[in-house]
Amino acid sequence: MDGAILYLREDDRLHGRVQPAMMPASTDVLIRLKSLSKHYGTHIVLDGIDLDVRSGEVLAIIGPSGSGKSTLLRCINYLEPPDGGIITIGSMTIDAARPVARAELSGLRRRVGMVFQSFNLFPHMSVLRNVSLAQERVLGRSRAEADERSMQLLKRVGLADKAGQFPVRCSGGQQQRIAIARSLALDPEIMLFDEPTSALDPELGLEVLAVMRELAETGMTMIVVTHEMGFAENVSDTVMIMADGHIVEKGPSKDVMRNPQQERTKRFLRAVHDR
Amino acid sequence: MFPTQDEISAWLPDLLGGLSISLQVTGLSLLIGIPFGLVLALGVLAKNRLLKGVSLFLVEVGRGAPALVLLQFIYFGLPSTGLTLSSFSAAIIALAWNTGAYTSEIIRASLQSVALGQREAAEALGLSRFDELRYVLLPQGLRVALPALLGFSILIFQGTSLCFTIALPELVSRAYEIGSTTFRYFPALLAAGVLYAAISIPAAFLVNHVEKRAGLYAQR
Repeated sequence: MDGAILYLREDDRLHGRVQPAMMPASTDVLIRLKSLSKHYGTHIVLDGIDLDVRSGEVLAIIGPSGSGKSTLLRCINYLEPPDGGIITIGSMTIDAARPVARAELSGLRRRVGMVFQSFNLFPHMSVLRNVSLAQERVLGRSRAEADERSMQLLKRVGLADKAGQFPVRCSGGQQQRIAIARSLALDPEIMLFDEPTSALDPELGLEVLAVMRELAETGMTMIVVTHEMGFAENVSDTVMIMADGHIVEKGPSKDVMRNPQQERTKRFLRAVHDR
Repeated sequence: MFPTQDEISAWLPDLLGGLSISLQVTGLSLLIGIPFGLVLALGVLAKNRLLKGVSLFLVEVGRGAPALVLLQFIYFGLPSTGLTLSSFSAAIIALAWNTGAYTSEIIRASLQSVALGQREAAEALGLSRFDELRYVLLPQGLRVALPALLGFSILIFQGTSLCFTIALPELVSRAYEIGSTTFRYFPALLAAGVLYAAISIPAAFLVNHVEKRAGLYAQR
């Protein structure tokens, strides 16, 4: 692995070599969802979700396929417009029952960064362009400013040497780290990760998890839909289990992962551990 | 049967003059028609019903009517509404319309072939609709469309021969004129055919080459 930031090993936290909360999550709520709902036809995907995420908190969402985890994430930044409910992010409130103006949407997306399972880098642009484009077009930075910031971030994810290459030339793990840099370049307040390692083999997934762990330690507020139980238990502050469009259980990560209260949670975790 | 050396040197300036007009009509029709096709493609994809309806009408008429009918309609039909056009303008309007209608479908399909994730990434980054189109969808979509657009350009070049019917002095009408004054129709038209082939065949090789390169990109 070529990442400069990989000074943290996967098990560092387990063994207490890294303090669990270098920058503890504050008590102010940064994201508040109130009865967020979404359905496709008669199928209810999100059934009135209420959720608070504190500034600096790392929330892992786990659960079986089709439970609404990804849809929840995609509703938060309006890639899927929710049918009802209220989204509050910092000082901004969006009522999903009403049509949303284009300006509100861009305000929302400026605050919220998103990383996809399939990376979705732009294949016809160099790595540097991928990271710089939105800085210029959305934040109005000059080309030089944007490129300078991009290089800082590429360095941070250990890929400064790939700046001039096309994404095609990078491994999956490298592409995902570039995608993270691309999102961070817009200085979001919150980062959403939609199964960021699911398309990667375990080794490549590890380098992405290391970047995410480092990000968590800088105090970034993160919501991570994941099947990585190690990440959920050791890196996130809070774990939330979803099934059938509901929140089944939510609590401090160690408690939920080691001592789940709900039958549905126990069943899911047993299935994961039996694999 | 075949033109003699003397005939060739006597006819060539005339035929090349005709070829030059054929190429001019081709070039201008594509230059106007392909951007028009892009506009029509966006119109057909638009949510606005009026815009979509007008675009669909222009596409369906442009594709549904044979190019020959469009030419005749614009050159001979429009004057009765008080709009009289030169044969050169009429040729360009008809062929640009035809080009726009066909290429709009090529462009629409290629824009829709760009992976959904690309659009989502652009949206999640907060790019405006216009920037999404300009920086993300068009560069990738047009790369997919390029071989088909070049192939269509060859068809339009060959289609300029239809302008013979509206008295445009392009390649076929020059050959026909030579035939009618010398009664050597066969060699004159044969010479014209060779000139068409001299452009079309290398162009087809170019399309093949471009298609292979576009394929390489698509494999990633």
